[in-house]
Amino acid sequence: MSDAPSRWSGSTIALHWLSALVVLTLLALGWLMVHAIDDAARRFDLYQLHKSLGFVALALLLARIAARLATRPPIALAMPRWEQRAATLAHWTLYLLTLIATLSGWLLTSAATIPIPTRFFNLFVIPNIAAANPALAEQMTEVHLIATWLLMGLAALHIAAALKHHFINRDAALRRILPQWPTPR
Amino acid sequence: MHSSIQSRAPVFCAAALALAVSTVSWPESASARSNWSIDPARTHIGFSIDAVGWPRTVGKFERFEGRIAVDFDHPAQSRVSFHVQAQSVDVGSPGFSDYVRSSVLLDAARFPTIDFASTAVEKLDDHRVRITGELTLLGVTRPLSVDVDVSKRADGGHTRLAFTAKARIDRLEFGMNSGFPVISRDVDLTISSEAQEL
Repeated sequence: MSDAPSRWSGSTIALHWLSALVVLTLLALGWLMVHAIDDAARRFDLYQLHKSLGFVALALLLARIAARLATRPPIALAMPRWEQRAATLAHWTLYLLTLIATLSGWLLTSAATIPIPTRFFNLFVIPNIAAANPALAEQMTEVHLIATWLLMGLAALHIAAALKHHFINRDAALRRILPQWPTPR
Repeated sequence: MHSSIQSRAPVFCAAALALAVSTVSWPESASARSNWSIDPARTHIGFSIDAVGWPRTVGKFERFEGRIAVDFDHPAQSRVSFHVQAQSVDVGSPGFSDYVRSSVLLDAARFPTIDFASTAVEKLDDHRVRITGELTLLGVTRPLSVDVDVSKRADGGHTRLAFTAKARIDRLEFGMNSGFPVISRDVDLTISSEAQEL
């Protein structure tokens, strides 16, 4: 306990911010491609980008979980035990929701009745993991949407908590997940 | 099976020919047929298709050739043929176009051309011709009849025939079933072209 690091590991920090960027981009793309784009070709391209980035998010997630399990978490901050537990629960729930969102996305495109191959950044085709199945595609679309909304809600809470710790509690919760370069410590 | 693929563009051309022949009362080059070729720079072969929950897809073909033989004495014997390169489809982005030319839709690798050949040309009035022919798509040949607006214009010393036509085809008739009913069975074709005498 005494030799626990004061910061998250470098790999955890890098994966955290990369994942944040990819997931926020996915959420924005998901909304845009469904609600805001009236041009069929642009929309097709955004779907392909969304699908490609979804697989990036999935890979990052698996790497994050591995990094989280393989490296020591930083020393506990001074906060009530319930808060500590809530934070940990929120982190793992974010992982779980990201996993559900990406897998349901993969399943829904696989089961879709219109077979549009997922070309990963136009490099290669990602295989389907289900046969065409309209009912499954519809269910997975629901799951995808619900997971997405829950993810957005929990991410908002996560960000609010980080800001609250930084500006109100004035503890290291946010600092210790920030990249280290400018601030020695 | 797909020897007589045609697209609507030929139709126009034919129509134009027929018009020229019958309405414009051409300088009686009389006796025989004159041969015309479409001007690719002034030809547009477009299509649009709707889908549920998806914006209308509008596309065009970039490569094609068409020939028109006009018999001014016997308009009904005029002929039009068109050959469109399926690979040349453009629906607005490379990725989307790849999907449209893939095996689930145009299957351009197996069926490189979409063909139209006229079987009959009939004058409707001074500016319209009905061209009946056969359209071959995905190796399946089906009859297609198109009304074509025709006009004549002078370009320098040359006369050019301009044609426009709209047609609707049922893609299911050609075995292009992918995505139905989410993707509409109706495909609207819009063709405009100009022909110049060879």
